[in-house]
Amino acid sequence: MRKNLAVLVIAIIGVAMLFSCAGMTAKPTASNFKTPVITLESFMVPQYDGFWYYSKKVKPTKGRPGDRGAPLPMTFLFNIENPNPYPVLLEGFRFTVAIEGFDLVTVNNDDAYWIPAGKTDQVRATTMITARSALLSLLVTGGFKLKAMGMNPWQALEKWWTGVPELKVPVTLHEGAATFSAGGVTKVVSFQAKFP
Amino acid sequence: MKKRIFLGFLVPMVAVAFLAGFSTAALAAKIKIGGIMDTTGATSDVGKDYAIGMEEAWKYINEQGGINGKKVKYTWFDYGYRIPEAITKYKLLKRLRSIVIMGWGTGDTEALSPTVNKDKIPYVSASYSAHLTDPKKTRYNLFFSSDYSTNARAALTAWLDKKWPTKPDYGKRKPRFACAYMFASPYCSAPIKAIKDHAAMLGFEIGPDQDVSLFALDTKSQIMALKEFKPDVVWHGNTTMSVAATMRDAYALGLGADFIINNWGFDENLPRLAGEAADNLVVMGATPCAFFGQNYKNMDIVVRTAKKYNPGIPTSKRLIRTIQAWGDALITWEALKRADKAGDLSGPGIMTKGFETMRKFDIGLGASPITFTATDHRPTTGCLIQEWKNGKFVEVERVDLKKRWPAKWAKEWLGW
Repeated sequence: MRKNLAVLVIAIIGVAMLFSCAGMTAKPTASNFKTPVITLESFMVPQYDGFWYYSKKVKPTKGRPGDRGAPLPMTFLFNIENPNPYPVLLEGFRFTVAIEGFDLVTVNNDDAYWIPAGKTDQVRATTMITARSALLSLLVTGGFKLKAMGMNPWQALEKWWTGVPELKVPVTLHEGAATFSAGGVTKVVSFQAKFP
Repeated sequence: MKKRIFLGFLVPMVAVAFLAGFSTAALAAKIKIGGIMDTTGATSDVGKDYAIGMEEAWKYINEQGGINGKKVKYTWFDYGYRIPEAITKYKLLKRLRSIVIMGWGTGDTEALSPTVNKDKIPYVSASYSAHLTDPKKTRYNLFFSSDYSTNARAALTAWLDKKWPTKPDYGKRKPRFACAYMFASPYCSAPIKAIKDHAAMLGFEIGPDQDVSLFALDTKSQIMALKEFKPDVVWHGNTTMSVAATMRDAYALGLGADFIINNWGFDENLPRLAGEAADNLVVMGATPCAFFGQNYKNMDIVVRTAKKYNPGIPTSKRLIRTIQAWGDALITWEALKRADKAGDLSGPGIMTKGFETMRKFDIGLGASPITFTATDHRPTTGCLIQEWKNGKFVEVERVDLKKRWPAKWAKEWLGW
């Protein structure tokens, strides 16, 4: 009877040690937490609807009139390299998209992704701006800057809406910040990129 | 015997696993808070800083243990300053069971107000319209700041106290006052009735209003019209770019008036855009909280958190909008802690056991003490007025309207 009990205890301790050892080999600490590396793998406009704008004075065939501008969806594919011997959790990331120095959208993603130990995973972020929202942003805040560049908002919008899908106008990502955690240790990584 | 041994191990192990499971579940319990921000639309230049500041504030709050140990899951969306999108996002956040929503502009906040009040979901926004301060009408709309009308009254009072006595015509005639703002904008026009009422009460001669678009780069015709009236001081109710355009033209055409500006037109970008006009005119504005990095209580926390979570954004690019976001987050945190302690995180519970228990609550950051009661949701009784002087922002006066005009504050000025 005692023999059975001893065997059971040893078995439990053995399993527990196996599990704890597995954890011990790669316990995250502030000092061994290496900074994950974020790079922009690719950029594309997943669906394109051209450049157009109509004001609320125009009667639409169907639906209600309004100030409407062409959408410009954008997809960014990032490589997330985890140089650590343990998995890290990407808790969220954010970046600002700028075209010709004008910030047009700040993208926020709160989804959680586990990046395996020593591996590179990919994360996709998609956003969309419209010619209407970009127009308002330029009109209210970008006037002086556009004037200095010798452009008006309409010229800028047409150039961007026709040039970005064909990669003739580069898209810049800046003010990027990604939050990683592992074992209670948190690290914020800043990143930036330009495409093409 | 074997059965006894087996049970002797199994029962405690199951019990431990059960407890661990429960504690994990308890640890995982999160309070959901939503956000509707503008990072693409007409106000995205300031909206982005506010959105980022709001996220940083909730991260800091979680670092401090969240709501009495319960972590906050803060989820926000960009709505591009489009009201239909704000309504859609509000419905989504409601479906996600957000118990408080952090909002943004005047147009969408006022459009959502009937729904928010019907749903009884506290909606803490960056619209400081005085129309949102009467709990009889908009009980679930909240913000930490002095409202626009209080800003306007305080700015005019500070100018009369500190600047008018320095003018050559002081004591010889009435001071002359005029307003420049976009007539069609809800934000711009919100405090006009109040500031004119105040100007009349203080004995100003009031000139004709000037319609200045939020998109304006050229305001010469408005300045020429103002020159006929010769104002001593002009209230500008717009946002930064068109305020800068007006100041540039006023300086170039020699208007000779001082400027007092509402809070969304008075930030770290104004001197950059207005250039030498900012350095040579008297330029004062309502600052419901301090500018980013100014030496006030708790500013070190804000700056440290900004550097920690957004190392890619230089602090020189951060704005007072970050501080405004923290103001709204901090009052919400306090209200949730109080309501949670009282065991009631329902909408009415957050209101009656949280927000409406605050009496002169001090968040630091240069903000005035904050009070909400069941009958009055004007958060503060006054506002700090600052000016751009010798290349930096400095205090002019902290005006407390309730102290100076207690009867009018209590009986006349609520809700407009």
